[in-house]
Amino acid sequence: MTANGYAQLRKRPRVAALVGVLVGLLAALSASALPATALGVDAPRTSAADVIDPDTAAETIAVWIRQTSDKAGIPDVAVTVEGDGFSQDFTTDKDGRVAVGLPGPGTYTVTVDEGTIPESAGKLPDGSNPREVRVVQTNKNVPANFLASTTAGTGTGSTPAPSGSAGTEAPGGTTGDGTGAAVPQATTSGTGFWGIVSAKLATGVIFGLLLALAAIGASLIYGTTGLNNFAHGELVTFGGLMAYVLAGFGAPGAVGIIGAVILGGLFGFVQDSAIWRPLRRRRVGLIPLMIVSIGLALATRYIFVFFFGADRLSLPNNPSPFLVLGAVSLRFTDVLGAVLSIIVLLAVAFVMLRTKLGKAARAVADNSALAAASGIDVDRVIRSVWIGAGALAALSGVLIAYYQALRWDTGSAILLLIFAAVTLGGLGSAFGALVGSMVLSIFMNLSTLVLPENLKYAAALVVLILILLFRPQGILGKRERVG
Amino acid sequence: MNLNFIWLALGEAISPTTAAYALATIGLVVHFGFTGLLNFGQAGFMAVGGYAFAITTLKLGLPLPFAFLAAILASAAFALVLGIPTLRLRSDYLAIVTIAAAEIIRLSVKTPELTDITGGATGLNGAAATFNALNPIPDGRYGIGVLTYTADQLWVRVLGWALVLIACLIVFLLIRSPWGRVIKGIREDEDAVRSLGKNVFSYKMQALVLGGVLGGLAGALFILPRSLQPDNYGTQLTFFLYTIMLLGGATTVFGPLVGSMLFWVVLSLSDGLLSLGVRSGLLPLTSTQQGPIRFIIVGAALALLVVFRPQGLLGKKKEVFFSA
Repeated sequence: MTANGYAQLRKRPRVAALVGVLVGLLAALSASALPATALGVDAPRTSAADVIDPDTAAETIAVWIRQTSDKAGIPDVAVTVEGDGFSQDFTTDKDGRVAVGLPGPGTYTVTVDEGTIPESAGKLPDGSNPREVRVVQTNKNVPANFLASTTAGTGTGSTPAPSGSAGTEAPGGTTGDGTGAAVPQATTSGTGFWGIVSAKLATGVIFGLLLALAAIGASLIYGTTGLNNFAHGELVTFGGLMAYVLAGFGAPGAVGIIGAVILGGLFGFVQDSAIWRPLRRRRVGLIPLMIVSIGLALATRYIFVFFFGADRLSLPNNPSPFLVLGAVSLRFTDVLGAVLSIIVLLAVAFVMLRTKLGKAARAVADNSALAAASGIDVDRVIRSVWIGAGALAALSGVLIAYYQALRWDTGSAILLLIFAAVTLGGLGSAFGALVGSMVLSIFMNLSTLVLPENLKYAAALVVLILILLFRPQGILGKRERVG
Repeated sequence: MNLNFIWLALGEAISPTTAAYALATIGLVVHFGFTGLLNFGQAGFMAVGGYAFAITTLKLGLPLPFAFLAAILASAAFALVLGIPTLRLRSDYLAIVTIAAAEIIRLSVKTPELTDITGGATGLNGAAATFNALNPIPDGRYGIGVLTYTADQLWVRVLGWALVLIACLIVFLLIRSPWGRVIKGIREDEDAVRSLGKNVFSYKMQALVLGGVLGGLAGALFILPRSLQPDNYGTQLTFFLYTIMLLGGATTVFGPLVGSMLFWVVLSLSDGLLSLGVRSGLLPLTSTQQGPIRFIIVGAALALLVVFRPQGLLGKKKEVFFSA
């Protein structure tokens, strides 16, 4: 059920009508088209007798005018709906709603007479009035929501949404939905039980690989500095957004991915030199560091909203199936994402095991004082870890943007999954993060076989809690890490 | 030029939302400031309290005292469930478990299957009816200038702040008591307290329940002036509470009060100034760009406070245990 669906549900006062809307939503096309168009389409300003009954019209707009502060409806506000020679005046009922029956599909302009909104209720935000509403065939209760606010009225904390404009889905705190919503587009569920299982398994594996890219960086940062980086999700989002910007300049996908990875590494480097290294120098404790990362996450997240808006962004993608394995159908970018993740993860493994830098990083993670004493430049290692973590997270962000969706909170939505994966595998261990991500993601997607879809994220968090209780060192973690 | 927003912003200092945030932060101070428990799930406690309150009122139709009792019992139960397994964990593990638990609550109540009880993603509306029915204040409008309130609005303010002051008093007395000294001892050095023969786990649990109940009551207070919506209880609610706590002073009883008032007045003022600037064309922003700015301010304030003034406005520097 979409947020839009809920918005529509809210608009009908009667329970019977609620059921009606639900049925209408589920079987929208089967609804019998009532002769709504029989009413004078080109009638000018109509009298009350010509009002199209919204209960029988095939297309309706649901106008709802409320106050931002307490979401109370504003009654007796004059609303005009115009379009295609149709023009009618309405007033909102005691809940601030009015249902408008339409003569047919088309684009309608909903204008609220702001003079009729009482002074105490405030004003509509600039640009929200009048509103263009597009109505397609048999589309009932298309929302036209307006939120009036006194200038300070938004200070009640009731709106996590950064923008006061209604009609768009409230973006604040939709953490679970970010990961939960868009999965079926990647893998079409096949026929029969095993078809569904294999589709979910494929989703789980691909998402697990993408998650692992982000989780390894978080795990290395934790290992080398002890910091639970709550701003790691923003590194992920950053990558996706940079690819989006590059795509906006007309860069091909490959350039977008490489560019995002380079910029992501740069972002990690800048973060470390501007924030984390000075704080290490000041010998700030781990708890304040954690809180700093929370503040940083909050600020960065909304800087993204500031520049990119709260809506969903999409990268140019070819939706046609590229690889079909039984019931599983994958797009080119899905396959590319998985292959690229595997290559990069192998490269990370090589760096960690075979190079001097990797050895140094593992030494710092193991015991940073001892590493420093044996001649390892700890600061340099940590800087490299930040650069690497930024680049990996950015790659993860781009691939997630291709795989699911990109929004300002794409990264923060999976932050707790990253933590869960890292904890599951063993805090501070790079390979643990990989194993943890895969196990978690596959579990999460298979859990939807028995659980409602929107609870899979919660299921993953339950796993996180259980792991912390029974095996806090994680699958591959070492016992002595647990303090 | 309409400067009403200045008055409205000052009015935020006594708004019920400010009171609810103050109350929840007092709970957080008990957890983090006095006991040293890194609870990142205070939003979860508020959600549990709020839902218990709303469901008792709306679905069971019970009178107001039962609704408050339900909020208290539910949040205490949540604290027990959360505390039994996690209080033995290291502090950063506790942080992750509590934040995850709060998210589990938020996501679970949104499940369409539970719509009959929790209202699903839409939440619940009208939980304040029994509360307003008990309003002893005669109808009319009270206040001066822009800051006039209806009888119901005044009633929720009076009761909300009364609740906050009672909570402050209780916590103040508790912290001065021998119980409070043990709690603070645990914060400073858990092993030392244990070596004195105190049951550290039990004390931590009592602190978790106390702070959680305050959070639950705050959740009930929070929904009195508005409808209950699950997405209000996201992680950023907890982060707002941390900002308020660090602003007022994490180891003080009255810090949350000052912090919450200052927090909301400053946020509303900055909102007002921004929209003034936008409307008059001084600031080249769209109205949708205006919204995120407050969150950017909060985030930056949180990060700067904890580094540069960890004791907050009212705290003492030497009592700041966590920056060592």
